[in-house]
Amino acid sequence: MNRMTATECLLEMCEEHLELEDYQSGVPRWCTGCGDNAILAAVQRLCRDEGLRPEKTVFVSGIGCSSRFPHYMKTYGFHGIHGRALPVAEGVKMSRPDLDVFVNTGDGDCCSIGAAHWIHALRYNMNLTVFLHDNQIYGLTKMQASPTSPIGTKSNTTPRGSMLEALNPLTVTLGVQNVSFVAQAVDWVPELLYDIVKAAYHHRGLSFVRIVQRCPEWMPKLHDPWLHDPNRVQVLHHARGLQVSAALGRVYRNQLEHDPLDLDAARRIASGNDAIPVGILYHDPEVPCYEDFKRSTLLRTPALIRSGLQAQFDKFTVWPKAAEVETAQQAA
Amino acid sequence: MDANATHSDRVAFYLTGRRAEGMREVGALRPALQARYRDLTSLRHDFPLVLATSGDAAAPSLTALVDAALASIAKGADAERARRQVLRVEQEVRVLLQQGVEGTLAKLWSDATARLAPGRDASLAEAARRARATIAVDGPLLRCDATLPERLLQHVWQQEQQRKQTALRERLVRLIQQLSDILRADFERSGAGRDATRLKASVGSGHGDLFDFDAMSRVLARATPREPMPEARRERIRRLLGVLDAQPFVALPDENAARAAGHAAYGYRFDSCAAALAAWRERLPKLIELARAIEVAELEIDGRYHAERHDALFASYGANGLEPDLLSHFPDVFVCLDGTSLDAAEQTRLMEILAGELPIKVLYRVDDLLAALDDAAAPTSPGLRCRQIAHMAMGLNQVYVLHAAASHLPRCGERIARAMRFAGPSLFCIYSGASGAATGQSTYLAAAAAMESRAFPAFVYDPSGGPDWASRFHLDDNPQPELDWPIHRFEYEDARLQRVSVELAFTFVDFAAGDARFAPHLARLTPGSDESDLAPIDEMLLREAGRLPERIPCVRMIDERDRLHTVLVDEQMMRKARRSREMWHSLQELGGVHNSHANRLLERERAAWEASHAAASALPAATPAAIEAQAAATSLLAEAVPEPEAAAPSRDDAYIETVRCSTCNECTQINPKMFAYDANKQAYIADLKAGTYAQLVEAAESCQVSVIHPGKPQNENEPGLAELLVRAEPFR
Repeated sequence: MNRMTATECLLEMCEEHLELEDYQSGVPRWCTGCGDNAILAAVQRLCRDEGLRPEKTVFVSGIGCSSRFPHYMKTYGFHGIHGRALPVAEGVKMSRPDLDVFVNTGDGDCCSIGAAHWIHALRYNMNLTVFLHDNQIYGLTKMQASPTSPIGTKSNTTPRGSMLEALNPLTVTLGVQNVSFVAQAVDWVPELLYDIVKAAYHHRGLSFVRIVQRCPEWMPKLHDPWLHDPNRVQVLHHARGLQVSAALGRVYRNQLEHDPLDLDAARRIASGNDAIPVGILYHDPEVPCYEDFKRSTLLRTPALIRSGLQAQFDKFTVWPKAAEVETAQQAA
Repeated sequence: MDANATHSDRVAFYLTGRRAEGMREVGALRPALQARYRDLTSLRHDFPLVLATSGDAAAPSLTALVDAALASIAKGADAERARRQVLRVEQEVRVLLQQGVEGTLAKLWSDATARLAPGRDASLAEAARRARATIAVDGPLLRCDATLPERLLQHVWQQEQQRKQTALRERLVRLIQQLSDILRADFERSGAGRDATRLKASVGSGHGDLFDFDAMSRVLARATPREPMPEARRERIRRLLGVLDAQPFVALPDENAARAAGHAAYGYRFDSCAAALAAWRERLPKLIELARAIEVAELEIDGRYHAERHDALFASYGANGLEPDLLSHFPDVFVCLDGTSLDAAEQTRLMEILAGELPIKVLYRVDDLLAALDDAAAPTSPGLRCRQIAHMAMGLNQVYVLHAAASHLPRCGERIARAMRFAGPSLFCIYSGASGAATGQSTYLAAAAAMESRAFPAFVYDPSGGPDWASRFHLDDNPQPELDWPIHRFEYEDARLQRVSVELAFTFVDFAAGDARFAPHLARLTPGSDESDLAPIDEMLLREAGRLPERIPCVRMIDERDRLHTVLVDEQMMRKARRSREMWHSLQELGGVHNSHANRLLERERAAWEASHAAASALPAATPAAIEAQAAATSLLAEAVPEPEAAAPSRDDAYIETVRCSTCNECTQINPKMFAYDANKQAYIADLKAGTYAQLVEAAESCQVSVIHPGKPQNENEPGLAELLVRAEPFR
């Protein structure tokens, strides 16, 4: 119903409005300068602007610096085990489809130990919003190379420099058949970060946002070339994607109009080398969500449950020898 | 001489109605254009209808069903024969109906087959059986008679009602279930819910002796939540359950009705406005209570009901009346009125219903359109009264009005369904054609003639169709709506056995001429009379009234043996016809056909366009130099506007580009009083005096996104300024 009735208008007037600080729980223990702070600010802005009810919002995480996120949000949260942020989030969504479920995972948690869950979560396409906090290093465990670390990264486990080419999370997600929303953001352009987070929230399906994030402690100089030269950030814009404001457009002049429905162009952009693409790479609103297939209109009354149980038990019941008793009675 | 005398006799008849010699009574004549429609049983027309309970259409016609069946079974070598046989059975069904046999399609089809089968070979029965098997729907057959409007509309209304009641019932059952679940969950977590006997009962008989239930109960009692549900909330939920269980609007399935035993659901079908209004007024408080209970229940289940905020709101719920969109979820009321015999009080109540936007669907059935012209006791004919009511309803703007003759109803399926779904009052003005005053005409033909002659045109006013008359009002179902009267080709054999083809208009007079009450105003001429001074009605109406007529209006009619006669018409009839034509014109204007406002606007625009066109061609062609000069002027103007912000101005004050701040906490860690976060958690300079220039420069250097600009130092006496200014240089 687009038009609101008088009662609905009055009810909306009575609703309490929460400020940004109302979503803040505790003081973040991330390093000063960590990109996670920017992501936290953007997500809290989203909660305030969309009026998300804290008791209807869940943040699910695995293990890593990124996964400290639920501790700092005054909503429901689940800090799970390593690599299993996505399965837990899918379980929450299936049993409570009415909740807004967000997933905070890192480059180790998602692309290394959690890689299997990652692929299948994309296929299920449940209505989740997934943030990949990609700082290209294992930060919490004090500097080991991750799958997205650039080749040659010197770390505790790769003292002579890592030997494998970095995994590209964008091309991997764009390669999964059922994908419905893929976007990339950088934590040092807060305006675009917020717009992408908002678009990801509004998309109905699995929204995968890779946030390229600075780690000032272990990889302080890694992103300097892109931080200091705005032209090495390519802003993707489109009527169906992001709109670039005038002020931002003056600083970030490297812009490309890219249609989010064009999968081949998205894959080309994702595979590109020099400039970091920022924006919505792919967005298909029509992909169905797994929880919709499983939803039933039947009301789970006690009678329904009882009849279902009885039907199952009847398959295994050993019937008393009613047949023999009957024939005996007939004979008599 | 003879011709003149006859002519002045004719003029005398026209002006006074006095018949001279050579003019006879009309007797049992019918309008000429109805010549081909004598025996309706052999005509494959829209009737009979099947009141189907399944399938897409609420009431498909037999013709359509048989056509669909033939399309699928009449294939191959046998196609033509099967087709003929099935059509013969269809015709027999019509014969049975005309003889008064009632029943469903299945019954009548088998009866018809049984009657035809003896005397024909077995293939007829076989073809009929196959056709019947392909037709998926079944239901009572409806002829076009006086009961058609009521039965058809009630059928469609009931289908819509079923849908609404099912939806409402499901919603209520779900709400009751979820509210009961809340109460039960609360009970289970309370002390009483965790006592030993209940725990033992919940484990089941197989494992009852494995546990010490007293101990279990003691352990669980200690784990009882410290904040049980407030008693006020529990009481509120119980009250809600009471209202939802006991509501009288829809019947709930048995399981839940056990709590509300003895409560019959309301009835929704009435025969008078008085009864409908009384019922509405009596039920309104209960309706408001139920609507309020549903809204509060939804909030309560979602956990969003806050007594301190919402109690006052819901205390006065419905005081302003309930909106039509909300009411559309509840079943609505159907009233059948007989318009031919409606008194003034009932009419006032009808207008009250329509003006009050109550969700009531009204059938206003008129059996007889015309009243005899000289009848002083009935100054307004029923047809006119019906038209008045339809116009008044349209003027209220929020009433769905469908005005049609019964013969047209099979084509209105979609419109009728929309009317029944409309959230608000709907008015159906239907002329059934069953007056019996028309000589030798079936009900269907009488109704069809009324529509054809514009005496009872078909129009629809659909408020849900859009914001303006163009999208709401539809006249296009009428034949040839851009003409005054529909014109048809008529062929006959003249005295010399030559085929003559003329175009005849079917006018109001043709419709009324078949009615016995108008016989005094018609005079039949002897065949073979001179017809040079006669003219058809539509031509005569185009001339002005009131002058001595040179020509006399006449109509063509036929008798039972299909012989053609010419019938004179007097002035009173012509006046009626003129009025009918004018009423049709005003309907046309409403429907946008020959709309006078549109025409005048078009004329003005055309004159303006012609004037400007003439002026433009009168000027000499613009010289190339002039055009260039104009182009240059515009480009100069464009360049004159300076490029905004070609370079960012360097300011002397310290500032932060707050919009680009990435909330990394570097500057707030350095000096939380100088640097603060705004409502979006992005940094700005809160108090410049709260810190030193050194701190500004340090913050600028540590800022990850380099958005801090230290500017010039405020305090000239700060130590180490020279080195700091050098460090601050890149951040200008």
